[in-house]
Amino acid sequence: MKKIIATLALVLCFAGISLAQDELSFERKQAIDSLALEKVRDLSKYIKIVGSKDTPFSEANRVIDRAEELFMSDAEIGVSSLSSNQITYYRVRKYFEHLMRLNYDRVEIEWYNIEYVSDLQRQPDGTYVGVITIFQTFRGYDAEGNLAYKDTTKKDITVYVKRKETQIGGRTIGFWDVLLGDMRVKETSNR
Amino acid sequence: MKNRITTVIMVLLAVFVTLGGTTSCKSKKRLAKEAAEAEYKSRVEQATKDLNAILDDETLWTLEEKEARVKTIKDWNLQNAEVDDLLFQVEKKLARERAQKEEEERMNAQQQQQQEAANVVLEKNFNSIARAGGTAQANRLINETLGLFESANVPVLIIISQNAGFNDYDRPTTIEKYLNYLKDQKKTADKVYEIKYNDNGKINELELIKK
Repeated sequence: MKKIIATLALVLCFAGISLAQDELSFERKQAIDSLALEKVRDLSKYIKIVGSKDTPFSEANRVIDRAEELFMSDAEIGVSSLSSNQITYYRVRKYFEHLMRLNYDRVEIEWYNIEYVSDLQRQPDGTYVGVITIFQTFRGYDAEGNLAYKDTTKKDITVYVKRKETQIGGRTIGFWDVLLGDMRVKETSNR
Repeated sequence: MKNRITTVIMVLLAVFVTLGGTTSCKSKKRLAKEAAEAEYKSRVEQATKDLNAILDDETLWTLEEKEARVKTIKDWNLQNAEVDDLLFQVEKKLARERAQKEEEERMNAQQQQQQEAANVVLEKNFNSIARAGGTAQANRLINETLGLFESANVPVLIIISQNAGFNDYDRPTTIEKYLNYLKDQKKTADKVYEIKYNDNGKINELELIKK
């Protein structure tokens, strides 16, 4: 009996140590929370640049490359419209190409209320997964400068944060790789 | 008869006291002289040993400690030919070390100044790119800034947090991507944390830290 209790105590002790090693300090957790939010804000700026009719084609393509790097390779972005109940999901590059070709003379895209709806939680494989919600107001203007279309969409973006290592200048650098997953449309209104 | 014996005893006593006092005084002087000679010998030995150790770089003393030791030995004023010769050699050696140390300190200060100047230039360029009036102006500033780097692919590391001497980084990027990022995002640049240069004075690694 004593042996079993001793073994159990040992197992619990090791489990405790392992759990403690996995736990991030408040400051480190806060830093990766902010990093993930920053990536989403960066994405909003890229969408604005690519959507703008003033952006030269070469610049837009370069920005699409940068935007693609923010996402997981198989991520999709949902697009909705007030004229249809259907939500179309595009791969990231396709979404940006679609955005570039929108049939308006001028486009304004604003993101606001960017915040976590589900905090980053550690998964068994060590990846932290969370959901960030954003509100997007889209305005499309015709050649006369009149507002032709406007909607506001609430979207949820899944974020994945994983600790990785790489070699730079002969030393090992541990970094947090933030990747965005699917961007799902939650609701669309004419507000 | 009795009186005669008393007188003899008194005279003998006086002779003993006088002789005894003189001998004791002479003994004290001799002891003091011997002690002084022993101390002198000990100091000469110690000085010779310390000065030889300094000459042969066999001490762990700092330059300041070595200089202090030489000063103490000189203050002893031993007037010993061997010690004087060693002092002459050691003083020459320490003067060389002092000059070398001052040169190193001057170089370090200069390097520090250059580093600070480079930090200022980089941060100024970064912020100018972020605040550029248009794409053409931003691209011109990017090309100008890239000239400070070994190549457009120089790695840029961005520290997102520091805890207990441990750095957490964002995904590493390249200087070209980082400069374009500043142009696109129009953000205040991260603070320069460390710059590494190649032999040609071009930056070959840049570390930034989030403000």
